[in-house]
Amino acid sequence: MKKIYKAKVNKIEKVSSSSYFIEIECENPVFVEAGQFISIYCNGLTLRRPFSVYSNNDGRIGILFKERGKGTKYIKSLKVGDDIDIAGPFGNSFDIKNKKSLLVGAGIGAAPISYLKTKLDNENIENCFISGFLNKNEIPKGMEIDKICTDDGSFGEKGSVLNYIGVIINEYKPEVIYACGPHIVLKIISELGEKYGIETQVAMEKVMACGIGVCRGCVIDIKKNGKIINATVCKDGPVFKGEEVVWEN
Amino acid sequence: MGKLSVNFNGFELKNPILTASGTYGYANEFDEFIDVSKLGAIVTKAISLYPRAGNKHIRITETEAGMINSIGLENVGIEKFIETKIPELKQNNINYIMNVAGSTIDEYVQVAKKCENEKIKAIELNVSCPNVKSGCLEFGTDENSLYELVSSVRAVYSGFLIIKLTPNVTSIEKLGIAAEKAGANAVSAINTLKGTSINIELINGKYKKTIVQGGYSGKGIKPVAINAISRLYKVINIPIIGIGGIETLDDVLEFFAAGAQAVQIGTSNFTHPNTAERLVEELDEYINKNGFKSLDELKKELRA
Ligand SMILES: Cc1cc2nc3c(=O)[nH]c(=O)nc-3n(C[C@H](O)[C@H](O)[C@H](O)COP(=O)(O)OP(=O)(O)OC[C@H]3O[C@@H](n4cnc5c(N)ncnc54)[C@H](O)[C@@H]3O)c2cc1C
Ligand SMILES: Cc1cc2nc3c(=O)[nH]c(=O)nc-3n(C[C@H](O)[C@H](O)[C@H](O)COP(=O)(O)O)c2cc1C
Ligand code: FES
Repeated sequence: MKKIYKAKVNKIEKVSSSSYFIEIECENPVFVEAGQFISIYCNGLTLRRPFSVYSNNDGRIGILFKERGKGTKYIKSLKVGDDIDIAGPFGNSFDIKNKKSLLVGAGIGAAPISYLKTKLDNENIENCFISGFLNKNEIPKGMEIDKICTDDGSFGEKGSVLNYIGVIINEYKPEVIYACGPHIVLKIISELGEKYGIETQVAMEKVMACGIGVCRGCVIDIKKNGKIINATVCKDGPVFKGEEVVWEN
Repeated sequence: MGKLSVNFNGFELKNPILTASGTYGYANEFDEFIDVSKLGAIVTKAISLYPRAGNKHIRITETEAGMINSIGLENVGIEKFIETKIPELKQNNINYIMNVAGSTIDEYVQVAKKCENEKIKAIELNVSCPNVKSGCLEFGTDENSLYELVSSVRAVYSGFLIIKLTPNVTSIEKLGIAAEKAGANAVSAINTLKGTSINIELINGKYKKTIVQGGYSGKGIKPVAINAISRLYKVINIPIIGIGGIETLDDVLEFFAAGAQAVQIGTSNFTHPNTAERLVEELDEYINKNGFKSLDELKKELRA
């Protein structure tokens, strides 16, 4: 199967004050693991834009995206029935463990974590999904979250997920933590995981060009067998073990 | 050989569509998207004597009409290339040109010797990489250093030797002439232009600047490439392989008109990973539709 498709927009809707859900139907169904991503060609732009997969019903690919610049503005402008040029799925995926799982999302990072939750639920793996947003208008419609925090306290607990994560670890006693969100959130979760001896898996982001590990544009430092080496977020990642990542400040 | 074939005195390409160094991996990586064996050749990522880790910090950024990269020649090194990538290339029937980088003449020579031993049919010397502070830059910008480098490599390597020229010079003619005099079989042009992007964001009343300095490639550099090739075509007799911002069949024809015998596709592999394969098909169709008997006939018409 060649990983580039002429596809069509099957559904597109605004799901929060800053994010959109788009569902894409390819000629043939495409099946995606949680944590993997696709890339979208955005009219006239040189670099394709990467997005984590959020849903995968009947081989259709759903993504949740936040409007940021030219690329996401273009995707937002698409209508049902429009052609869309996508490639993927790319990257590794969360290594699903049959263990009590804590799922942490922050902002749009909740998307791949929400998809992971459906996979865990399907396999009857006990889990708790906590996610943080700026305010209640930022919570994507339709996303099933066990515990929500908002920075301004307009919904759920007030403050960032980081304020609660320590308490939840102590109370819920997870055996594995999966996370996606801003760099600082992933860094702190990895540090907590190391402190409490809990495995962490974090989904990273980096600007990408090729998406398949050849251009070496998206490398981060990771620790492997006592050595620091380059790893590509697009192919070796996007999911890394928290303790392996060399965190930049 | 088919209608599209190109014969560079002994080094044969089934068509003139190649992929540019650093944008296509080492071997069959793009088989996720296309049948790589259909291409004229792939040019590998730059390979140096020893593996290199490349640059830190942000390595790529998009610009209005292309991108800037500062990968810093991260690569697996010649030993690993020979051991793991050449078998893959052979097994998949992929014609290839090995791109070589080094910081001293001796490093280039040692790599070239290994290529000679391995009977690698063609190599392209990257003498124009703007990322590495030591070495590279001087070879490609000074005709005497370039002459010395090319003759040293020529002395140990008998295969098809291509010199990849940098556009970051005042007179590219002088460098092309030096390469030819020193025994190069062809030149390729152009490598990336020097570029810097400063992305400015206002966060909580303070400016946050993200600076990426490196090689500018893509659509925006095409006129610079066409200019370089047109000028080289007037003064050298060895074949020119054109590179720079190629995306469409019209671009390919423009490069032929300027004097290129073959072309390499770089950045647009990222935009549309099937670009190179599509161009082979479109060129084939174009030649048949317009009744050309061969690629040479088309080039002749374009240059008349
Ligand atoms: C593996 C991965 C998964 C992602 N998943 C999601 C997701 O599920 N939902 C979502 O909304 N966003 C996701 N992103 C981020 C998304 O790719 C960017 O928001 C998008 O590229 C912005 O494009 P733009 O043109 O709108 O904005 P721009 O103005 O071009 O850029 C805004 C910011 O987006 C990032 N960006 C730009 N170009 C790229 C690129 N080629 N590759 C990676 N990042 C880039 C940069 O950090 C930049 O500062 C993901 C990124 C990665 C790497
Ligand atoms: C990410 C990236 C990596 C590159 N790496 C190399 C390299 O290792 N050696 C080399 O000779 N040129 C390298 N180049 C330059 C390209 O081979 C090509 O000359 C240049 O990008 C212009 O062509 P384009 O506009 O089609 O991309 C690189 C370019 C890019 C974008
Ligand atoms: S985007 Fe090219 S190596 Fe990751």
